[in-house]
Amino acid sequence: MKQTIWFAAAAGLLFGAVGAQARTKLAALPQRENADIRMDNPAFTLIEEERILTLRKGLNQVDFAWQAVSIDPDSIRLTPLDHPNGVRILNVSFPPGEAALVWEIASDGDWAERVRISYLLGQIDRLTAYKAVADKGETKLDLTAYLIVRNFSGEPFANARIRLDADSVFERDLADGQTRQLLWMQTRALPVKKVWTWDSALQPWDPEELEQQNIGIPVRYRLVNEKDAGLGRTALWPGKVRLFQDDGRDSTIFLGEDDLAFLPVGEKAELYIGDSRDIVVTQRKMKEEQINIRRNRKEQIVLFDTEEILTAKIENFKDSPAVLLLIERIPGQWEMKSCNLPYTRKDAETLEFEIALPARKGDKPAVVQLEMNYLRKNIRP
Amino acid sequence: MKQYAVLLGMTGLAAVSFAKVDLVTLPASESVQITIYESADLTLVRDSRPLILRQGTNQLQFSWAGTLIDPTSLMLVPKKAADQVDITDLSYPPNAVNVGIWTLESRQAGRIPFEITYLTSGFRWRAFYAGILSEDEKTMRLEGYVRVFNQSGEDYENAQVRLIVGQVHLLDEIAELARRTWPYGRPGEGMPPMPALVRQKRSQLAFGAVKAMDEIAMAAKPKEIRKEGLSEYFLYTIEGTESIPNGWSKRLPSFQAEAVPVVNLYKFEEEMYGPSVIRYLYFFNNAEHHLGQTPIPGGAMKVYRTVSKQGHLTHEGGCEIKYIPVGQEVELNLGPAEDVLVKPKLMDYKTDNYRFDDRGNISGWDEIQTFAIEVKNSRPLPIRLEIKRNFPTSYWTLEHRGDSGKIFEKVDMDTVRYTLHLPPQSARTIEYVLTTYHGVRQEDWTRQNH
Repeated sequence: MKQTIWFAAAAGLLFGAVGAQARTKLAALPQRENADIRMDNPAFTLIEEERILTLRKGLNQVDFAWQAVSIDPDSIRLTPLDHPNGVRILNVSFPPGEAALVWEIASDGDWAERVRISYLLGQIDRLTAYKAVADKGETKLDLTAYLIVRNFSGEPFANARIRLDADSVFERDLADGQTRQLLWMQTRALPVKKVWTWDSALQPWDPEELEQQNIGIPVRYRLVNEKDAGLGRTALWPGKVRLFQDDGRDSTIFLGEDDLAFLPVGEKAELYIGDSRDIVVTQRKMKEEQINIRRNRKEQIVLFDTEEILTAKIENFKDSPAVLLLIERIPGQWEMKSCNLPYTRKDAETLEFEIALPARKGDKPAVVQLEMNYLRKNIRP
Repeated sequence: MKQYAVLLGMTGLAAVSFAKVDLVTLPASESVQITIYESADLTLVRDSRPLILRQGTNQLQFSWAGTLIDPTSLMLVPKKAADQVDITDLSYPPNAVNVGIWTLESRQAGRIPFEITYLTSGFRWRAFYAGILSEDEKTMRLEGYVRVFNQSGEDYENAQVRLIVGQVHLLDEIAELARRTWPYGRPGEGMPPMPALVRQKRSQLAFGAVKAMDEIAMAAKPKEIRKEGLSEYFLYTIEGTESIPNGWSKRLPSFQAEAVPVVNLYKFEEEMYGPSVIRYLYFFNNAEHHLGQTPIPGGAMKVYRTVSKQGHLTHEGGCEIKYIPVGQEVELNLGPAEDVLVKPKLMDYKTDNYRFDDRGNISGWDEIQTFAIEVKNSRPLPIRLEIKRNFPTSYWTLEHRGDSGKIFEKVDMDTVRYTLHLPPQSARTIEYVLTTYHGVRQEDWTRQNH
């Protein structure tokens, strides 16, 4: 196994300033005893390795050098483990023109000292990827999480402990240039809720105006990272989720894929799987009139209200019921005069309607009509 | 059949030195299922193979050189004794392109059926249709077909073929993932794609044609297609198995409906179509129209008309149709029609009811336009005609002459529609007076309407 990080320990050398020509490197290389690859921080990978250093009583110089690997020199630390009080690091020197450093270590005895060297290594990281299989009824999800470890650091690791968090430790060899996909977490029957969303700010209003084009209504699965749902042990790291569905015939279909954002315990996530073309929303503005017009002395309009009527016809062509989240937006100051369906005001301008759509009857779509009559107030031209 | 290779072996060597892994068994594929998507270059492949496992650690090597397989999608699933087998690891070793090695811990020795699933690029399918109108244009025979294309780099023999209709959400193109040098890329940089696959012409393709002909000759009847809805998708499963060599495509009939009642629908809307009248054939995807069993996938439609008792056809036009759910209407756009005319004419124009501000400037007025829309059906068939009129403001009133008011409906605040049923070779005129209100006259209009 090619190694690109190495040690040279020179005991008892006291040749003046570090970096001088007299610095001696010895060939007795202390082997790496074991290595921990800590990947709990997604942006940085910390390597902690243990080696046995042969120290003589007095001053010792220990070389640490690397080649063709990306190590942050400021992150390199050495910690004596057997004699934490008897072994002291006096200083660290960096020779010119070399990817190396020299520790000057004072030892109170002749010891084979176990030390821990840690450093941040570049070009080695991890991703998370998820695969999920929904049941036929789309209420439950079997979720499998994988840790993808990519080592392009230039350094191979034999039998390293790859640590994601306190509970997730994998002992593996990790060659340079190797990618490993490790099984991280499996959750069965995670409850999910399927939602269809039509947003008046994002979707076209009138399908009739689009020649031979379907308007897709985004479909999402909602899930919660909580104990009741079979998760809740740890945050879920961001990653691509590929969703499949059991087809009831001992096979699956691929539903779609989405990015899961970082999901702390207790938080909700939505995964966008694809678009439905079996729910059709036709929204039209049936009225927009200026009222309560106020003018200045020059008879110019300075303030007015509008009265508006919006209608939306929602047709469900599916042979199963669905819950459509319909989002309407009324900018500025407004007042609802009448609305035939209940809504939740999500913020100043956003109204959310949760509309239960029955399944189509025979080959006739189920139709729900929404009508909103509202005033927009104190508008300046 | 397969270009990719599956090898199984015992481990025991340092896994870092993968070249030394001793791979001894080559299990044969028992069945292959391919599920091809319509909306994306995406196919789910499910390959069933029995593996002979030893108790302890086993390693399984899978290689896919020359294919368009997305290596990040590879999955290995035991179909039996799942509690006896842990698949702990999938490694993409260094210095080996298009190779993956699974590590399996088995508590049981013997033969266990497994499925290898993955996503691949290179397959596609599309639906297309032929509609044959009866001589009187009252009914149409509708024939649906699917055509499956294999450009995946692999030959698929005796595979169960399933086709998916639906809009799938993808973050990455499968073809792009398949071309990556490293399956998940490298830390901190975008991946330069590998050169595109050079497709090889194979000698076996020459024999394939003969074989395909034999298959057709042997088939006693067209294959059934099972249709079912799943989530937001519709799944078509073709009866039995199909063999589609790389580079080939295959056409299969998907449905046929006789005597679908159709309406000759004509549409006129100057803002959308200009001065032409556009001809549509109109029917519903429902039982009344001898359809409605399944949604109709989007695709190209060719419309013919029977012109003789001997069954000669003439081509009436073609169009793309969108996806039609069960119960929805289908409108086939056959292009501009010459034999149905709609001519809107402005017959009179005046302004009135001027208002002036205190400086004597105009602050409001009405515009009064009288329109006569001449409509003529020169066809020997009854037709339905929809005329849409868009107004430049939402402050308007409309006064109809004759019975034009009976065929009028308000579409939205500035659009109206007239729907006419015209007998063969007939003409009529729609007359209306449109008054639009401007400036402060809008306020008067608002007062009048409250």
